[in-house]
Order: sequence, then structure tokens, then C-alpha cells
Amino acid sequence: MNLDHIRNFSIIAHIDHGKSTLADRLLQLTGTVTEREMKEQLLDSMELEREKGVTIKASAVRMIYKHQGQEYEINLIDTPGHVDFTYEVKRALQACEGAVLVVDASQGIQAQTMAHLFAALELDLAIIPVINKIDLPAAMPDDVAQEIEELLGVPAEDIPRISAKNGVNVETVLERVIQEVPPPQGDVNAPLRALVFDCHYDPYKGVIAYVRIVDGQIQGTPSLLAMRKGTRMEPLEVGVLTPSLFKTGHLHAGEVGYIATGLKSVQDLDVGDTITLAESPAAEPLPGYQPMKPMVFAGLYPSNPDDYDDLRDALEKLRLNDAALVYEPETSQALGFGFRLGFLGLFHMEIVQERLEREYGLDIIFTAPSVAYRVVKTDGTELIIDSPAELPEPTEVERIEEPWCEVHIFTPAEYIGPIMDLVTKRRGEVKNQTWLDSKRVELTYMMPLAELIVDFYNELKARTRGYASMDYSLEGYRPADMVKLDILVNHQPVDALSVIVHRDDAYPKGQKLVSKMKQIIPRQMFTVPIQAAIGNKVISRANVKALRKDVLSKCYGGDVSRKRKLLEKQKAGKKRMKMVGSVEIPQEAFMSVLRLGDED
Amino acid sequence: MTAHTTSVRTVNPASLGVSTPAQQTPLPTPIGLYVHIPFCERKCPYCDFNTYAGMASLYADYVDALCLDLARWGSALAARPVATVFLGGGTPTVLDEALLARIFQAIQDHFALLPGAEITCEANPGAVDRAKFQALRRLGVNRLSMGIQSFQPEELRFLGRIHSAEEGAEAFQAARTAGFSNINLDFIFGLPGQEAKSWAATLDQAVALGPEHLSLYSLIVEPGTPLHHWVESGRVPAPDEDQAALLYEMAMARLDRAGYVQYEVSNWARGEGASPGVSRPTEPTHVCRHNRIYWRNQEYLGLGPGAHSHLTLAQGAASIPQELRWGNLRSVPEYIRRVQADQSTVDFQEVIHPRLAMGETMMLGLRLLQEGVPFATFQERHGQDLRQVFRAELARLTEWGLLAVDEERVRLTRRGLLLGNQVFAAFLPDAS
Repeated sequence: MNLDHIRNFSIIAHIDHGKSTLADRLLQLTGTVTEREMKEQLLDSMELEREKGVTIKASAVRMIYKHQGQEYEINLIDTPGHVDFTYEVKRALQACEGAVLVVDASQGIQAQTMAHLFAALELDLAIIPVINKIDLPAAMPDDVAQEIEELLGVPAEDIPRISAKNGVNVETVLERVIQEVPPPQGDVNAPLRALVFDCHYDPYKGVIAYVRIVDGQIQGTPSLLAMRKGTRMEPLEVGVLTPSLFKTGHLHAGEVGYIATGLKSVQDLDVGDTITLAESPAAEPLPGYQPMKPMVFAGLYPSNPDDYDDLRDALEKLRLNDAALVYEPETSQALGFGFRLGFLGLFHMEIVQERLEREYGLDIIFTAPSVAYRVVKTDGTELIIDSPAELPEPTEVERIEEPWCEVHIFTPAEYIGPIMDLVTKRRGEVKNQTWLDSKRVELTYMMPLAELIVDFYNELKARTRGYASMDYSLEGYRPADMVKLDILVNHQPVDALSVIVHRDDAYPKGQKLVSKMKQIIPRQMFTVPIQAAIGNKVISRANVKALRKDVLSKCYGGDVSRKRKLLEKQKAGKKRMKMVGSVEIPQEAFMSVLRLGDED
Repeated sequence: MTAHTTSVRTVNPASLGVSTPAQQTPLPTPIGLYVHIPFCERKCPYCDFNTYAGMASLYADYVDALCLDLARWGSALAARPVATVFLGGGTPTVLDEALLARIFQAIQDHFALLPGAEITCEANPGAVDRAKFQALRRLGVNRLSMGIQSFQPEELRFLGRIHSAEEGAEAFQAARTAGFSNINLDFIFGLPGQEAKSWAATLDQAVALGPEHLSLYSLIVEPGTPLHHWVESGRVPAPDEDQAALLYEMAMARLDRAGYVQYEVSNWARGEGASPGVSRPTEPTHVCRHNRIYWRNQEYLGLGPGAHSHLTLAQGAASIPQELRWGNLRSVPEYIRRVQADQSTVDFQEVIHPRLAMGETMMLGLRLLQEGVPFATFQERHGQDLRQVFRAELARLTEWGLLAVDEERVRLTRRGLLLGNQVFAAFLPDAS
């Protein structure tokens, strides 16, 4: 198709502002999918996405739309909405010439809307603001339009007001895309340069690369080359996304489609790489993406040591579709063999955890999440650690530095107090406060990342009845008075329960951990002391009293089978616990460290 | 007979054919016979036994069926001598003398009772008088087991018993007067909020009556009982395990002083040559021989709804004997129907494989505090040396002070007694 008749665009929105619903309507409107095929939020293919109502992976779809007698090929590149996934949004945007900015008529501009909008502006995309959910009783489209006008300079009356849910005014969005998003540039006759903006592992076709052809074309299945990685590929097929894979046999500059690369692992192909023809390669690759950097780390162990191999296989499979997931083997004296995982954020971690449990049926233990600390030792050497176990002895440490973030929170003004309280409790500093309109403010804080990763988002939502939104970005390291808090059970430190905390928090945290452990560790045959300690100094302690009596009172002829089964169950339960020294610790103990929020 | 698709046949006496000694089990020991009477005047809120109130209209039909079942099992197991009979429930004494007489007659007619067989009947105060006890004596009952449970009025009320503290004591005296010289009294301790003082008073009164045998059970909140519901809904506090431990240890000390030997986790029997407060007993003289069959992991036949049996049987013409445990279905009308139709009454059945049998011998045998598990008995029963089979378990549990091993046997220590489940579980094979 003629480049003039192609449009490539993304929809950017805050989570729950209706991006997926709008995408569904567009697919229906263009007849891309029939009513019968239509499932709610079609682009969210993973079960988990559907359940959580958020889009995790970017995907793409080609639509054909007739406008003023002309047929247009419109490629919609979907973007994830959550704060951890800004990098994936940027990828998707890089394959577009325009972006539809969806804003909820009842909520107005939110933190992620801004983050994504800035990314789109950086790439010089045409921005089409749209006000969605005008059907809601709480909708305030005029106020929101005003907000957008002030932000983007688009006249308020020009902003389409739609209800994706009810299909109101949706066609206007397509008209605007055709009118305002510039057609792609690109030389069909130049050497092939295809930007990989996402990857997906298909059990039948191997690695599927989602590409935007920037220059040149692919005809048939020539040998291909990933320019940065140097991987050679013998592709199986090329085609477009409808949204299922539809083989066309060719793709040319300006188009969006897929290449079934024939590769067996997404590790062989980096997102952001440029694919060219192996026999007549382009001279220069396209500018790539910034590599993703994990910000949050946690240990991951199988509950049952026998499942280690299964866990490793599951992680490998997971990594096929999640290039952001990094891990390496780790050993814990308490938990045995496992892995240290790096995540983009807490949300990412939660999704990985759920997928491992749900899709792979694994019973797993996650240790408390940690950030990467920079440790300057007394001998002048410097190291980066992301696990409490790696922290050197206090005497060897000159200073510890921790990552700080700039946090943007959008909120109705009435919640400023509770948010301020939350942020101060977590060592945050106020940086800025801007009124968005007469009712809403944007708060900017500086905060240690470590404070952000443990339950901050949930707490923020709870304190603002769900009205506040947030976004954060890493802003460098600052010295911090951090200490390693150890938990000793029967005088033995349990490495999996150690956490790095700020010295001021060590006492309350130590007390909480000890009392929680006391509740969770079942009574054993002897008294079990539980202590919290910094170095050699015990700061809190409690005892789990010894079990006094545990014997079946009655056991006669009619009871033998039932009583035996009770004992077998007791035995099996003991087997599932982790032995630390001579003490049996249930898995919940390890999880409880994670759950120690402010409200405990 | 119902169809069988599994490799294990459901036990039915009819399928055993006419038994001959050659076909019988390799275990030469006599069996115990348990006969279940699934009726009570009222169901106690803590009880999860298979017993029903308000079924008086079924008494006669039930006894008919029971006699039929005794007859068919009697012929199937003709060669097995019976060392003990236990008529339990429920409350067997809700049946009148004529019905009880028919049951005992059927037992006599169809089973070979050994001379001096122990014949126990359970009784509950409130449903018995001297005449009833005399009738039981006439029928050959030589041991009584009475559910007294407590001598404290408010505890009896909580337990939903139909008798008063006085009636408990009176029933005991009536049994004595009727000529019973081997009487057990059942008690329950560890009731929510029960203090040492009230338990001590109950124990003192029990000792004062001078029964030959005492069974003391810690109150268990069994799923499906009204008590369970009360605890779950917060109407009644859950029994406190630490308090129960204290009361248990208190009972051990008191009964020891009073001349009783604790021969099993929950059972005490009067000892040889002991006079209360003067000398310590050495050997228990009035152990319940029927129950000891269970703890020795020996064989027994249980008849009636919900009753369990443990027998090594060869079913069919040429099959190999298998150690089996089975339980009858629990419904009284259904039991009657099946027996009348000469069908199997089995609801649940399991094959006890050799490894499991060894675990059960340990789990049950260690409950016998003096006897424990003798190596010779184990060798004879399982054809293996206990010290070899359970080398690791013995070493570990001995080191933890839970077991004591000597030349002849392995036994629980005092500490092991209190933490018995930790010991028993160790010998059981891992659940599949």
C-alpha cells in the first residue's frame, strides 16, 4: 500500500482510563474482528492481563478503514499502562508517528498519562487527546478538556469526547488519526531496516518479532540479520497482525507486522535491534532503545527443593516473553537453591510471581524485595549489592548509598495531608506542588526507592480512596544510614529473613518481625528464642514456648485408619516446612517479611 | 454381592466360603469381637461416634440384622477363637433385656468363645439400674465400662450428659451390688475453662469409688459436632492445650499415688499388690484385654454400622491372604437392608501393606507404656528386626529423649508420652 495511506499510532493512557476498551471498539468499527470473535479487551492476550484489567505486553494490530472513499491501513500499537512498564511504552511509541492520549472524563490527567505523554513528545509524535468515559455520572468533560488545553495547547472544544464502552463518537478518533497523524516516511528501495519493538515466543513458530519496517522491504523469507546482536535468522514467514498472525509474504517500509524469525529464544533477539537482509545489509542500524535496568531484587526459591529444576525451566520460559526479567542462581542456607531475580518494579515482580504460580503451578517463596545499594568500603573499593547477604561486615563499610527517586503524585487536593504523612514516614522530601486545576494537584517528592517498593503504591491508593496516581523515575544515589537487620531463630541467623533497613526503622521493624515470627512458627519440642539483631546487638526478642502436649488421647479399633491419616498429615506438614538448624519454619514466615506494611 | 472392579474385593463373609483352618490367617492369635449398638437416648454435643438418638423404632429390626450378621461372619470365621467381646456404642443398655439376650445368644451360637473370655458392655448412668446390671450379669457380661465423664454438675451440663454427678456414683454402686468386679469409668478433661481444682475433685471421687480401671480422655473438638460449631462461632472458647497438659500430668500423679498403673496413654488399671497411698503398683491387673488387641495391632472383627475390622483374610479360592482393615457403612437402615440382602456392608476398605503394618504396630504399640513394642513380637509379626527397620528413627527419637530402648523392647519415655504424636508419626510411611 502507498505510504500515504498508512497510519501508525499508539494509544497512551493511565491505567483503567479505557485504552483497551477503545482499542476493542476500533477493531469492531473497522471490521477487523467480527462481533463473534470479539472478546472483551482483545489485545490483552494473557489470562493474567485480562484478570488484572491491565495490559502488560505491547502488541499490535492492523486495521483497514475507508475514509472519504480511500482505503487506509491503520496500525495500532498497544502499550502497557503501568508505571513499571514505561520502557515498553517507549518502544511502542518509537514505531509510531502519532499517539492518541486517552483521559478519563471523571479522573482527569494522571501521573502515568504525563509520563507517557512526555515520552511521546520526546519522539515528536502527533498527539490526539481524547476524553473518554463521558457516560459516567461523575464525568466532568469540560474540566478535563480545560486541563488538557492548558497542558497541550489544544483548544478544549476540539478535543473529541467519547464513550468507548458505549461506542459513542469512536469513529471521530479514527478520522482524527487519518487527518492528524502523518503518514510514515521511509524509502522502499533502500536496504531493509526493521525496528523490533516487541518479541513474543510462540510454541509453534518460535520467536515472533513485532516490527516496524523503517526502510526497504521483505519479500518471501530471505535470510535476515539482527544488526546489533549479530544473530542470523532463517525466517519462517512474514505477515501482519489482524490481530492474529496473518501471513502476507511481504512487508514494506512504513508497515507494521511480524517476522516469524525461526529463533528458539527471545534471548537471541533484543527488542530495539534492527533487522536487515543478511545478503545485502543496511549500513547503519536504527537508534536502539535504552537497555532496561532492573530496580528491584528478590530471592526466589521453590518451597520444595525437589522443584528446583521445574522452577529453572519455568523462569527460562518466562524469560522467553519477558526480556526485562533477569536472574541468576543464588543459594540460601535456609532456603537452599534458588535464584536472585531483578525486576523493573514491584508491579513487575508481582506479575512474575503470579505467572510462576498460575501458569507453572509452582509453590514458591519470594524473599523481601531489595534495591541495589552502593557500598563504599573502608579500603576505598566500591560495590553494588542487591541482597542483604552481600552486605559486608559493618566494620568494613565506610558508607552506604541508596537509590533515590523522583515521585510524581497526581491527587485531589483533599488528600494532600494523608499523602504528605505517608511520604514523610517513608523518608520522603517535598520538592514541588503544582495545582492542575482548582481541585487537583501534582505533588513532586524525592524518596528512597527502598521506601517505594514495599507497599507504597497500595498504601497511596488506600489513603486516597484510589484517586491518586503516581509515577517515578530514578534520580541517583544518596548516602544513607542503612543497617542489616538479622532475624535469629534459636540463635541462628536465617539469611532469607535478613533485610537492609534504615537505622531509624530497625527497632520498630525488628519488633514487628519478631512478633510476627512468634505467631507463625509453630511450637516445637523445645523453647525457640527469636531475636532481631543488628550485628551482634540484639534489639528485640521473644520466645516460642515449647510444645507441652501433643498426643492423640483416643485410639481404638474404629479410629486406627483415621488417626493414622491425621498423623500422616502432620508428618507431611512437617516435611513442607523449612528446617533451620533444628527448628521447623513454615513458608509463611518468609512471606510475612514482605507483608510488613505500615498498617501491621 | 456387589460388583468388584478393583483388585481388592470388598469384604463379604459370603465370599469367604466355608473356611477351614488351612485357609486361615498365618496369625494364630484369637480375635476380638466388637459389636456396635448405634443408639443413645440423647446425642452428646462433643461426640462424633456413629450413634443416633430417637431411633427406638429400629431396635428390634437392628438386633435381627445384627444376629444375621453374627451368623454369617461366625460361619466364615468359624476357626477363629474369640478372646474378648466388647458391646459398645452408643449406649448398648438402651436395649431391653430380651434384645440384649438375643445378641449374646447369637454370639454364643456362632463364635467359639475362649474360656474366661473378657465380655465388656458399655453403660451410661441414667439409662441403667440394678435390675439392668443383674440382667447383664446373667447374659455373661463380666466387665462394665461406664461413661461418667465428670462429677461436676456444670461440666456434665456442658457435656450434655443426661445424668447428674450423684447418678454417676449411684450407677457405679448399683453395678457393684449387681456383682460386677471389673468396672471401668470414663472421664473427660480439658474442658474449656476447666480448673485444676474441679478436675482434682472429680479424680478424688473416682478414686474413692475404687473402680478397677479408669479411662481419661482429653476433650477433642471433633469436626461435625455441635461443640465444633460452638467453638468455630466463638460461643465456646477452644480447649487450651497447655491447660490440658497440666490436667493430664495432674491425673498421672494422683492415680499413681492411688495405686493405678497407667498402662496406655489414656488408660489406667489397678495394679498388683498396691494399697492406696502405701505401696506403688508394679503390674496392672485389670487392663482391658479387648482394647489391648487394638494396641497390639492384632485382629478383630467389628459388626454393626460404622464398626471397623482388622483381619488377614484369604478371599476366594486360591488368593493370597491380605491384611485388611475395613469399616462398615454408617447408616443404620442401610446396614439392616444390606445384611438382610446378604450383601457386603463395607464402606471403606484398605489393604495394609507390610511397610504400613510395621508403622501401625509402632503407632499403636507405643501407646502401651510398659509393654511398648517388644522386639520379639515385632519379629514374629513382621518377620523383620525392628531395630534394623527403624534404625534411624530409633536413634533420632532416643537422642531427643522421646523413646527408651532396652534389651527387649522400645517404649515411650515420659517426655515421649506427652509428645506421642511426634513419635508415632515418625514411624509411619510418608503419605502418598
